[in-house]
Amino acid sequence: MSDQTPCHLRDRDDIVLRVLQLSVNFAVGKQTVQAVTDVSFDVARGETLGLVGESGCGKSTVGRAIMQLPPPTAGRVLFNSQDMTALSGEALRQTRTGLQMIFQDPISSLNPRRRVRDIIAEGLTIWGRDNASVRVDEVMAAVGLDAASAGDRRPHQFSGGQCQRICIARSLALDPDVLICDEPVSALDVSVQAQILNLLEDMKARYHLTMVFIAHNLAVVKNISDRVAVMYLGKLCEIGNTDAIYARPAHPYTRALLASIPDADPLAREQASIDNEPILQGELPSPADPPSGCRFRTRCPYAQARCADEVPQMQAVADDHHVACHFPVLTP
Amino acid sequence: MSHAQTDTQPVLQVDELTVRLNSSQGLVHAVEGVSFALSRGQTLGIVGESGSGKSVMARSLMGLLPRRAVAFSAGSVMFQADQPPARDLLLMPEKQRRHLRGPAMAMIFQDPMTALNPVLRLSVQLTESVRQHVGLDRQQARIRAIELLGAVGIPDASRRIDQFPHQLSGGMRQRVVIAIALACNPSLLIADEPTTALDVTVQKQILDLLARLQREHDMAMILITHDLGVVASRADHIAVMYAGRVVEYAPAKTLFTAMKHPYTEALFNSIPRINDPSHTRLQAIPGRPPQLVEPAPGCAFAPRCQYAQPRCWQQTPPVVAVDGEDDHRHACFYPISETPAREDADV
Repeated sequence: MSDQTPCHLRDRDDIVLRVLQLSVNFAVGKQTVQAVTDVSFDVARGETLGLVGESGCGKSTVGRAIMQLPPPTAGRVLFNSQDMTALSGEALRQTRTGLQMIFQDPISSLNPRRRVRDIIAEGLTIWGRDNASVRVDEVMAAVGLDAASAGDRRPHQFSGGQCQRICIARSLALDPDVLICDEPVSALDVSVQAQILNLLEDMKARYHLTMVFIAHNLAVVKNISDRVAVMYLGKLCEIGNTDAIYARPAHPYTRALLASIPDADPLAREQASIDNEPILQGELPSPADPPSGCRFRTRCPYAQARCADEVPQMQAVADDHHVACHFPVLTP
Repeated sequence: MSHAQTDTQPVLQVDELTVRLNSSQGLVHAVEGVSFALSRGQTLGIVGESGSGKSVMARSLMGLLPRRAVAFSAGSVMFQADQPPARDLLLMPEKQRRHLRGPAMAMIFQDPMTALNPVLRLSVQLTESVRQHVGLDRQQARIRAIELLGAVGIPDASRRIDQFPHQLSGGMRQRVVIAIALACNPSLLIADEPTTALDVTVQKQILDLLARLQREHDMAMILITHDLGVVASRADHIAVMYAGRVVEYAPAKTLFTAMKHPYTEALFNSIPRINDPSHTRLQAIPGRPPQLVEPAPGCAFAPRCQYAQPRCWQQTPPVVAVDGEDDHRHACFYPISETPAREDADV
């Protein structure tokens, strides 16, 4: 593994989470599935990084590898400058309280047989924290649940949106630095989705959270993120400031993704430059046998011979806007 | 067959359709007084959140609701495939209805994995309806099935046809489901969340495919979705459903520029928009969709509506047409008068 730092990592003092050349392989039968390959990014304090891509691109695997669930095959995860991949046992458990996770399906993430209050208090109980019940009341109030009436009920008595509030309360109980949200709103109805997105913004401000927000919905990711990282077939394609990426997508895959979104406002789309982008053809190649060179080249409308031979490295196309493509689309 | 006749006569004319279902909690008022008409070549988009009754309505049009589940149904569903007269599907015996499913009307479901039989080769699933309804023999049916797979954009169809569903990706499976639905050239296609389980790039491929096939076959289509974006550019008319009712019905463009019902507006404003800068505060709709068991009197949206007045809690607002616009209807006592929220919408 080369120790050369990729150019899109920032040299700042307030980096809470730094992921370096992360790779995760899974053995499936005799094959090795390269779920994540050489992914690096950093997240500064108070920042939200959106991780987007289609199913199978490895975005959830990255989220889980940060938590060491399971530990990555290669690469490092620096949380507050501490290398989590080097830790194990008690030290890892201790460190991991600083990172918490919420998941896509809020109902199956909660034990149906336990009371809401006990679910939220579990982390506090395990670590023997003082004043657990005070803390539980506080986080329940923060996420908009009435501790007195909701605390003694069980998850099935709540709607999906309410269950996601319970999950958020549980994740906040231990006062984490980093919250990893894996598709937290994609199972919710649109009217409830907005409530949860607003709640996450409020919690981020109130508890000074740093977030990694994993989702496939590009509009949702844009709404909540300061920076966005786009993944395709286990690799990072493009990373940078949210508004810059959405206004001037440089990677052909990002452009194809953005052009595919049906917008609810048919009139707002007419002037968008990406509307003439060709529709993505074909199917996602197998991550067990990814294409050589650039992994997107088999579906890329701009692919050339060089794309098959050389793996594209991250290059800057603007301030805080990096793309891994030999022939990025540059718009003024 | 005279084309003029089929053009003027709608394929489907639904009047005051009401469906109530049995459940362990009581009577579910799933569909309440829904009316619309649909002609050949036209697409009706039906938008609503989960539990708004859109899927129950679709299944009742297809006659797919289990008989035991339906406690009560009323209204009329006049259907006319090719020749008049139109016939009321609700009064038709099941024996006759089953001859319509496939040749006259077909449906596509949300999850292409569960819609296909995992233990049967595609060839069996694709040829079933043409052999049953059109009477093709095994050889002809196979040729037809390969044609169909080609038409829905599956490469190497003559090899694929002998595969099983698990050997295909999600997008490919949904193409197969579409091919099965179109096997007998139906006049009406109901697509219930056809792309919800798919990725955005695949979603676009599938929606484009449906639009092309609809043009080629001159079908009437009902496109059911929870995503306003999916129907915005693909439907001619849009019906917004809430708690079993159509609360607003309008031509697609009118709906987005001159929406009348507060729920339509609230739904529209709660969606994160790709053109808004990041960290734009979303206007969430407070509360959650109502239970459909023994619904409270009054407008079902009143508890969540920012414009609700005392009257809204007591009386159910009737469906009324907007002045001078016959095909724009809403069910609200206090419709939005000006173009709401997004003033830039008609720039």
